[in-house]
Amino acid sequence: MSERATFSPFWHRVRVMRPRLRPHVQITRQHYRGRRWHVVHDPSSNQYFRLSPVGHEFVGLLDGRRSVEEIWQVGLQRHGDEALTQNEVIQLLSQLYSGNLLSTDATPETEQLLRRGRERAGKKAAQQAIGIMYFRVRLFNPDFILTWLEPIFRPLLGRVGLAMWVVLVAAALASILPHWDRLVSGFDSAIAPTNWGWMLVVFVLLKLWHEIGHGVICKRLGGQVPEFGAMMLVLVPAPYVDASAAWAFASKWQRIAVGAGGMLFELALASVCAFVWLNTPDTGSLLHQLSYNAMLSASVSTVLFNANPLMRFDGYYMLSDLLEVPNLSQRSNQMMKFLLQRHVYRVKSALPPTASLSEAVVLLVYGVLALAYRIFIFFSITLYLVGKLFAIGVILAVWTAAMWFFLPVGQFVHWLATHQSLSEFRARAVLTSLLLIASGLLLVGAVPMPDHRRASGVIESLSRSGVFFHADGFVAEVHRRPGERVQAGDPIVTCVSDRLSAQVRLLRAELEEAQSRERLARTRNVAAGQVAAQYVASLQEQLAYLEERETLLVVRAPQEGVIVGGDLDQMIGRFVRQGEPLCAVVEPRSLRATATLAQQEAWIYGLSPDSYKVELRRASRVADIIPARFERTIEVGDRMLPHPALGYSGGGTLEVEQRDQSGMLAKSPIFKAYFTALPAEEGGDPDVLFTAGGVPAKPGERLYFRFTLPSKPLAAQWLDRLQKLLQGRARI
Amino acid sequence: MTQALTQYEVIYESLRSRRQRPVVPKGLDLVASRAGMLLSHRRNNLASLKAQATRVETHREHARTMSDGALDDALARQREIFMRGRQDRDAVCLALALTREAARRETGEEPYYVQLIGALALYHGRIIEMLTGEGKTLTGSIAAPLIAWQRRHLHVFTVNDYLASRDAVSRAALYKRCMLTVGAITQETDPGERASIYARNVIYGTPKQITADYLRDAIRMGQSHSPWSARQAMLQGAAGGGPLIPGLHAAMVDEADAVLIDEGVVPLIIARSRREDEMAKAYREAADLAGKLDEGPDFSIDHVHRRAELKRRGIDRLRAMFARLLSHGGEPIWRATRRGEELVRQALVARHCYINQHQYQIVEGKVIIVDEYTGRFLPDRSWEHGLHQAVEAKEGLEITADRETLARMSFQRFYRTYPFLCGMTGTAADAVAEMESVYSRPVTVIPTNRPVARAQWPMRAFRTSRDKWAAIVDSIEHVHQQGRPILVGTRSIASSELLSTLLQSRGLNHQVLNANFDKEEADFIARAGQGRSRTNSDHSAAITVATNMAGRGTDIKLDDAGRQAGGLHVLLTEMHSAKRVDRQFIGRSGRQGDPGSAQIFVSVEDDLFTKYMPRLAAVLRNRPGPAEFRNRGLLGTLFRLAQRRAEANDRRNRANVLRQDDWVDKHLPGVG
Repeated sequence: MSERATFSPFWHRVRVMRPRLRPHVQITRQHYRGRRWHVVHDPSSNQYFRLSPVGHEFVGLLDGRRSVEEIWQVGLQRHGDEALTQNEVIQLLSQLYSGNLLSTDATPETEQLLRRGRERAGKKAAQQAIGIMYFRVRLFNPDFILTWLEPIFRPLLGRVGLAMWVVLVAAALASILPHWDRLVSGFDSAIAPTNWGWMLVVFVLLKLWHEIGHGVICKRLGGQVPEFGAMMLVLVPAPYVDASAAWAFASKWQRIAVGAGGMLFELALASVCAFVWLNTPDTGSLLHQLSYNAMLSASVSTVLFNANPLMRFDGYYMLSDLLEVPNLSQRSNQMMKFLLQRHVYRVKSALPPTASLSEAVVLLVYGVLALAYRIFIFFSITLYLVGKLFAIGVILAVWTAAMWFFLPVGQFVHWLATHQSLSEFRARAVLTSLLLIASGLLLVGAVPMPDHRRASGVIESLSRSGVFFHADGFVAEVHRRPGERVQAGDPIVTCVSDRLSAQVRLLRAELEEAQSRERLARTRNVAAGQVAAQYVASLQEQLAYLEERETLLVVRAPQEGVIVGGDLDQMIGRFVRQGEPLCAVVEPRSLRATATLAQQEAWIYGLSPDSYKVELRRASRVADIIPARFERTIEVGDRMLPHPALGYSGGGTLEVEQRDQSGMLAKSPIFKAYFTALPAEEGGDPDVLFTAGGVPAKPGERLYFRFTLPSKPLAAQWLDRLQKLLQGRARI
Repeated sequence: MTQALTQYEVIYESLRSRRQRPVVPKGLDLVASRAGMLLSHRRNNLASLKAQATRVETHREHARTMSDGALDDALARQREIFMRGRQDRDAVCLALALTREAARRETGEEPYYVQLIGALALYHGRIIEMLTGEGKTLTGSIAAPLIAWQRRHLHVFTVNDYLASRDAVSRAALYKRCMLTVGAITQETDPGERASIYARNVIYGTPKQITADYLRDAIRMGQSHSPWSARQAMLQGAAGGGPLIPGLHAAMVDEADAVLIDEGVVPLIIARSRREDEMAKAYREAADLAGKLDEGPDFSIDHVHRRAELKRRGIDRLRAMFARLLSHGGEPIWRATRRGEELVRQALVARHCYINQHQYQIVEGKVIIVDEYTGRFLPDRSWEHGLHQAVEAKEGLEITADRETLARMSFQRFYRTYPFLCGMTGTAADAVAEMESVYSRPVTVIPTNRPVARAQWPMRAFRTSRDKWAAIVDSIEHVHQQGRPILVGTRSIASSELLSTLLQSRGLNHQVLNANFDKEEADFIARAGQGRSRTNSDHSAAITVATNMAGRGTDIKLDDAGRQAGGLHVLLTEMHSAKRVDRQFIGRSGRQGDPGSAQIFVSVEDDLFTKYMPRLAAVLRNRPGPAEFRNRGLLGTLFRLAQRRAEANDRRNRANVLRQDDWVDKHLPGVG
């Protein structure tokens, strides 16, 4: 019922009570979206309640002398329609009473107290069980540490400190961005297994520092930090402090400051680390690696977790304070339920969690985003874990599935089945939900959807010759340029070698002289003539050799094909040595594309080539689709990659043996599928095989394959993929 | 051995009961508890009960041959065993054989085999379904000693005061033989005597009396939680004396479905009139305002949930009317629009959902509530939170002062406080789920001693109530001419009066039994079974038009003429909102193997149908066709569906009450 009924049948239970607010309870005033609220804080249990001004006035009158009835009457007279109804008073009292914030004149009922305690403990245990991904252990009260640290940091905790922080972080960014390449290349070594241990250490220390940030700022602003502990965040230990005292701060900026404290500290440290990293040698320095680790985890964890308002970490509370929407997540859930009730189930009496339109929009947007993010993160964490640690991963995945999927679904079903506001519309609500679910299932389970698979591969050439310089010399002339077609023996580049030509000339002169000497000797003495003839022969031999060398200065195409290589004109005038590569000549008609598929993705095996379509894209020109035709597959047993670029070490997607230097030995056998250009009769142009945008393909270039399989219902596709995934990751 | 209770003990036991906070299991707990119940009671399923009853039978000859002295000794031995809690299955069978024999000797009635089954089921804490006339009282009285031995105090709940005192007296000898003291608590029982009666072993009483005493105890004990502070509170209090009831130990409920389920949610309220009654004028003005609004554009009425919803236009009109009232010296309450609207909504509900001679009747210038299930007046009840006053204002009566609740307890919660609960009824099978989930009591259907020889005539469905009433009168006349006695069931006082005029105009002699004639009830019932006398042709067969008053607990005995003519014919003029109530009413005929017949007449204009299937009712009414529907099967299904909806709605209401009770218990300090 949308109207607030004034009377409650249970009024007699509270009417004559003369409860008193416990003296240690603290109340602070806050403003949310221009409305005044009062936060009641019980320091002993660290619980918070938010009261409207009318509720606050009511609570304020609970002095142990007035009866509830009297106070209620006062409210009625003072506020008229705005006054609390009996039901609202009962709600309020029960909340305060359950929170142990009220002492009543009745002797406390031991059993009731004990039962409440038990229920709380049970609830806590249940929460722990649900959030096994976020398992918490309370360790100690960090107050003494913070009391000691706070004066040390005090000079920095203010506008000056913030300004310094901005300068520091900006300076760090400015100095590190020019080194972006190094930064990126450092990533590989950071995620290498050898670094995991250090990474963990750095992460924990960093988070400790982060928590100190929260704690110190909270302390500085007058809050207590009564709890320090550790929580298991997706199997990684992370410390935490209980800075919920901030919830009672009057100014939202103070609350935000406490929430941001951790990240401020963390990023400051990361900035310092950036300087350390820049000023330490690249290789072999532990300090260098550690500072890189710190930068990485500070930035990644900040973006993924802390600052992310879609997870319930710092960012969430900051956003909630910034928007002045308390209980953002919970109320956005209510908002979604409200919309569901009002617009899908058509329950007219459903009440929105807020009356303000702007707040409703905020709640809705947040709700949708959070839901999407939750689903996304659930799948990625699960897949990640299953991939890394199969046994634990599967258990955790099942657990997370249960808690993140079945629990909400169960809660939803429970809500649908029992929620009172639905009671008259239950049949319709259930029917509508079933219809929606059924159509969803139909869509997923029966309607065929395009099925795309992807793979990476490489361009290989069946006929390819490297062109090398055969003699030392200076490049003098370029006859053919890359992309031009050459016949075998066509000169490509001509070199000159002064030394060689001088040698030839010298030898020729020497030969002439020796021949003259021979003729002279022959006239004198037969024996001497023979010696001289031998000398001539040896000179002739030498000359022939050098002359052949000279012809080799003209580099010729070793085969028919197209020249592939760098800019040859730039080589003019350069000194080259024998054996130095110049370019390659490739026969484009004999290029082929090789797709490599890990064993578990070898769906292609046994599939008729006519039943799927393939699209190829070259890494250098991903916008252009290249038509190709399936040739044949090579199956299991082979672990040799066609090109190192496909392996992990070459930046590819396949795991390779680490021992293997070439980076071409895959960890597990792979499938290779070969594709060739479409023949001319099918509209292909053999001359421009794999040519995209006018640029011919180079062997060794990476390719992306996209296969379009026959349409199948999504469920079948997912099942297939999951099966493949489990097979592969888990190696059953 | 008398069981003298010290006052301390009484207080202690009373507090112990009070600390019981039965919480209805929810969700998975409910599933688990029901599964557990199913398993634990599997041992006592009907087959096993039959086996046990057969064993009781084996002791029969032996018990019969005992001398009176030997029987007393044997009973004393069994009592000892039960008091010590040492009873095993054999002891139970033997004890039951002995109480059966005691019953035979003391009351002259020997329980049948099926009654033994019933008694065993009761002893095992089940709700039993025994058809009317199968001897529930006797069954209960042979099981009661066993329970009372074991649990010290047994409260036997009866439907009314008359039955309570009658049973307490008629069974006294049996209980005395079993060394149990017995007493009855009725309206007339002197408050001073009550404590001593409650100290006895078997206490007969109506739910209202016993629950009220329990609640009064709660008020008397204040918010104390230890015997010492309770004692102190009582010494200080002016009332003096300890609590009346020394704790709740065991309960046996007659007409269990009515008491536990239908009336279970009605809260018993101890209230006092508020001193101030300045609201009287406001109620009148609200009634006036409600009369000025138009249904449709200004407000809509939800008859199922008995509430009114104001529409935009209605609210605007009201605001204007409030302002006018205020400027003409109206009540200051109209300044607060929310309160004002609330009052007007209430007045609308009073105007459209509460109808004279249906929900209430005006007797001597007062609004008296008529119980929906029993058709009786509830003279000292009033609706809560101003609804009563709104109805009074509508009728232009003097407005009574609003009452202020001092203590309140739903019967449902009260019965759940008993650690042991069993019951019997003629119609439990339709309420199995609720018995199991709310009271954790399984239901056993006890076979009948003699087969039921009642013919169920097919239902007749009509388009309009006019046609229906005409057909009813025809049908009555027809059956009457056969010389058979007829019992006609109506749902409201108004329709019983209407039928009476119709019969009058046909010149059919009849008697009308409704809440207005409760003094003559016994006479009417005694006559209701008479057939046409062959010797005296003046003496025609009885026609009795009755509200639900005749539906439960009345024993209509056929005379020979009536039996020969074909037994009692029960005619229901409407379907009730619960199938159980219909079954109860029909169960008046064909008792203990007597011949009989029953027929239900319905029309699509009946309340049940228009409330719960409003659209279909409109369609059926407007479609041209004959007055009576031919397709009885379909119509029967539709009406049954409407009845199901009504049942579901009631069930939901009860569940809500239960939830609220539990919530309050859990979240608010103190008890009561």
